[in-house]
Amino acid sequence: MAQALLVALDASNFMLALLLVTLGLVILFGLMNVINMAHGEMFLLGAYAVVLVQRYGGSFWLALALAPLALGVIGLVIEEVVIRHVYHRFIDTILATWGLSISLKQAVIIAFGPTAQQVHNPLPQTVEILGTLYPVYRLFIMAVAVLAAAGTFLLFYQTSLGLVARAVIANRPMAGSLGLNTRRMDRMTFAFGAALAGLAGAVMAPLMSVDPQMGVGFLIPAFLSILVGGTGTLLGTLLGTTLIAGAGTVVSSIWSQITAQIVVFALAIVVIRLFPQGLTGGSQER
Amino acid sequence: MKSAPAGFELTVAVWLLLAACPLTVSEWRISQLSQITSYGIFAMSLAFLWGQTGLLCFGHAIFFGVGAYAMALITKGLLPGVGDSTVTGLLAATLLPGLVALIAGTLVFRGRSLSGAYFAIVTLAAAAIAERAASHWSLIGGFNGLLDVPPLRYGVGANRVELLAPVPVYYVVLGAAGAMYGLLLWLERSPLGTALRAVRDNEQRTSYFGFDVSVYKTLSLALSGGVAGFAGGLFVTQFGFVSPALIGVPLSTEVLIWTALGGREVLLAAFLGALAVRSVESVLSEALGYYWLLALGVLFVASVVIFPRGLLGRLLALSLPRRMAAPADPGP
Repeated sequence: MAQALLVALDASNFMLALLLVTLGLVILFGLMNVINMAHGEMFLLGAYAVVLVQRYGGSFWLALALAPLALGVIGLVIEEVVIRHVYHRFIDTILATWGLSISLKQAVIIAFGPTAQQVHNPLPQTVEILGTLYPVYRLFIMAVAVLAAAGTFLLFYQTSLGLVARAVIANRPMAGSLGLNTRRMDRMTFAFGAALAGLAGAVMAPLMSVDPQMGVGFLIPAFLSILVGGTGTLLGTLLGTTLIAGAGTVVSSIWSQITAQIVVFALAIVVIRLFPQGLTGGSQER
Repeated sequence: MKSAPAGFELTVAVWLLLAACPLTVSEWRISQLSQITSYGIFAMSLAFLWGQTGLLCFGHAIFFGVGAYAMALITKGLLPGVGDSTVTGLLAATLLPGLVALIAGTLVFRGRSLSGAYFAIVTLAAAAIAERAASHWSLIGGFNGLLDVPPLRYGVGANRVELLAPVPVYYVVLGAAGAMYGLLLWLERSPLGTALRAVRDNEQRTSYFGFDVSVYKTLSLALSGGVAGFAGGLFVTQFGFVSPALIGVPLSTEVLIWTALGGREVLLAAFLGALAVRSVESVLSEALGYYWLLALGVLFVASVVIFPRGLLGRLLALSLPRRMAAPADPGP
């Protein structure tokens, strides 16, 4: 019983962490039609922002606030210098962001070295849940993921700003003709996606080994979650991350971590093959 | 494709220059150049798939790696019953990845096929799977790979000779590269190649014209996979060992960069892209250290944004086949 509860807690923890990482990616993919291969490195930069702030004596909570801001600014710069030129060439956005991912990772290696950095866990306590001890910080991550997902959903579906963003995506020339500033919306959406990646990186930093390879490990499961769930809705993302993370935790509790990765990736490919629009049947034709 | 005025002359000049390299370059550099030339064949196979058919593959090293492992297993005599000759090895290194690609292509493209971006992500995940599986499969050496892969050999039984001198090896590899170039160029300029480019430019319209698009995509993947595997097989005879690094994401990324920088639509440009990047890397990576990969990444982004056809593509583009360049086709 306690074992099953622990697996369930681990599964929901992994699922919500994956959701947090996937959020920024799905905004760029689903709403802007940009496949951001550099998402893993934006996540990485978020984690290194914590390392940097702590190195200068700042607290973890300050770093948690600064990381999304810093990544938002970096996102603005990237959008302006690179992405803006390749919006109309869909496949080239994959290549350009892939190149960015290589460059950003290498810049991190140059600045911080290739070895792992330590980030202090700000909430090292454990709490008892139904007789099972569980780290408080993991619960904090889950809370942040839920809040970030809910906030994103409200922002895009319940505010006028979100309405404008979706209008620009649905019909760019029409939105432009109605006087909406489409360039500004592109910039803001991209920066928002980058900021979410930064937030995810900062939140996850205390539990992970913060090294230059940490972004790649999350990129593939995040993409597979989006494709499995469908790109059209946030509900699809929720479903995709649940399936990928759930399957991963269950398989790895029976066999090994490595088998889990192989099995989950392979299953995801099969699902994507059988449901090219994702399980929720995304609305977009491509 | 608009051709540069001197595309043909430049193409001939490049091959002549490559053939003349042993006259001026030291033996050590020549043996390096042979290895890089195998990478060049690999880049050409990707250029055929990506530049001609429009399929962006993020896991092309899978085919290279399967070829490399097949070659290593056979020439080391680890597979009973098939002998251990270089020719058998190269044959298997070509056919096995080609078959893998054929099956994968059939699975992926039949019916409602995956779109370009999905194909890219799925191949990326497949490369990650292949890398992890290879490092945990003890039959093929696991994480350490297979050491002491024999060099190219000819003759049989007691008369078997190992080809070790750098210059003859270089000419064998260059000859193989020329043969693969000829084969892919011939395919590219045949009516099949025209159909592949039609699929690339407008899949829907091509299928409305009565072409079975999935068959063409599968065929292109199989041909490209076979050539990539051949390159992998050739590579291990010189490199001497094969490891999971040859099958995974990093090498898949590298070949994409070479091909994109050189020029995805022109075989020779992709080939030279591989040669140029690897040569510069062997000279500069020591001096630049970590900055080399940073520079390469930035250059890659810049070329995608500014020169989508690569740095050499325009220069080396050949004119269209004569049957298509005919002034005004009377037509039905």
